[in-house]
Amino acid sequence: MTDTTSTPAMSDLERGYRRLIACYPRSFRKDNEEEILTVLLATAGEGQRRPSLAESADLLRGAIRMRMGLSRTPRTVLHAVRLMYLGAVSAVAVLIIVILTAGHIRAAVQTAMAAYHNPAATAQVMHGVNIALAMDQVLAPVVIILWLFMAWTNGKGYDWARVAAISLFGFSSVGMLADVVQNTATYAPAAMIGAGVEWVIGLAAVVLILRKQSWPYYVRHPATR
Amino acid sequence: MNTRPMQEATFLILTALAEGTQHGYGIINEVAEISGERVQLRAGTLYTALDRLRADRLIEVDREEIVDNRLRRYYRLTPEGGRRLAAEAARMQANATAALKRLNPALGVT
Repeated sequence: MTDTTSTPAMSDLERGYRRLIACYPRSFRKDNEEEILTVLLATAGEGQRRPSLAESADLLRGAIRMRMGLSRTPRTVLHAVRLMYLGAVSAVAVLIIVILTAGHIRAAVQTAMAAYHNPAATAQVMHGVNIALAMDQVLAPVVIILWLFMAWTNGKGYDWARVAAISLFGFSSVGMLADVVQNTATYAPAAMIGAGVEWVIGLAAVVLILRKQSWPYYVRHPATR
Repeated sequence: MNTRPMQEATFLILTALAEGTQHGYGIINEVAEISGERVQLRAGTLYTALDRLRADRLIEVDREEIVDNRLRRYYRLTPEGGRRLAAEAARMQANATAALKRLNPALGVT
């Protein structure tokens, strides 16, 4: 191992390395700075005065990975977070489907109601359908924001975020069940398929955050952090 | 999750720790030796990998020492790390055996 303390050239090098290590998150630095420095100085070339381009690129890449939380996050949580972002995309898709097919949905319900020859009941049902469609469109941005918020907070490892994600999935499951019971698929097949895909994404994300590999991450990041 | 192939650097780091504890610089040297000098880990890559492996509970800190006023932290495989490495090695061996079995007749080797 090279002598790491005595020459002025080495102290310049050490300063250079420390500047690069400063790009890492503080928690990581606190735990690892001295150790990385030991390794960097040990692997430095004879007479090297400053970090090489390759070393700088390697350290900066590591710092970016750490800052993005790509390193300490278990793969199960990483996948769950990606799925949650995908859930937000699917919620946008469902909103677009609902807006585009609202006319078809109203027409389908109206046709079905025509068989009963009861204009008063038809008007009542149509009123209900209009309210349901309006609610879908008003609530969609909230749902999209919730997906994004869940992705962000679960990625951070907050334990309450995991509980919230599971609870929200529970609510959405009840909503899906209600849609199935009300035979929504008959009138709004495209929207139901979209909502079904969104539900499956939620299910997969919940399964992933409940997996054994995810637990230590949430335990290590208490809600009080 | 656990069945996906390991990255080569991860495989080599775990292999470097399979025989016993190693500190960071030791792991770099071991990895170079195991790979026939083909893989030269850099510090940034090594510590990103070590951080992930610790988070996944595949390795853990064995002990810390101060040598020449510098911190040396020794790492060791966890039982789970050993199992994962063994499973990955078996997977790679099975693939290599299958490839060689198919190649050998083509090359006229029995």
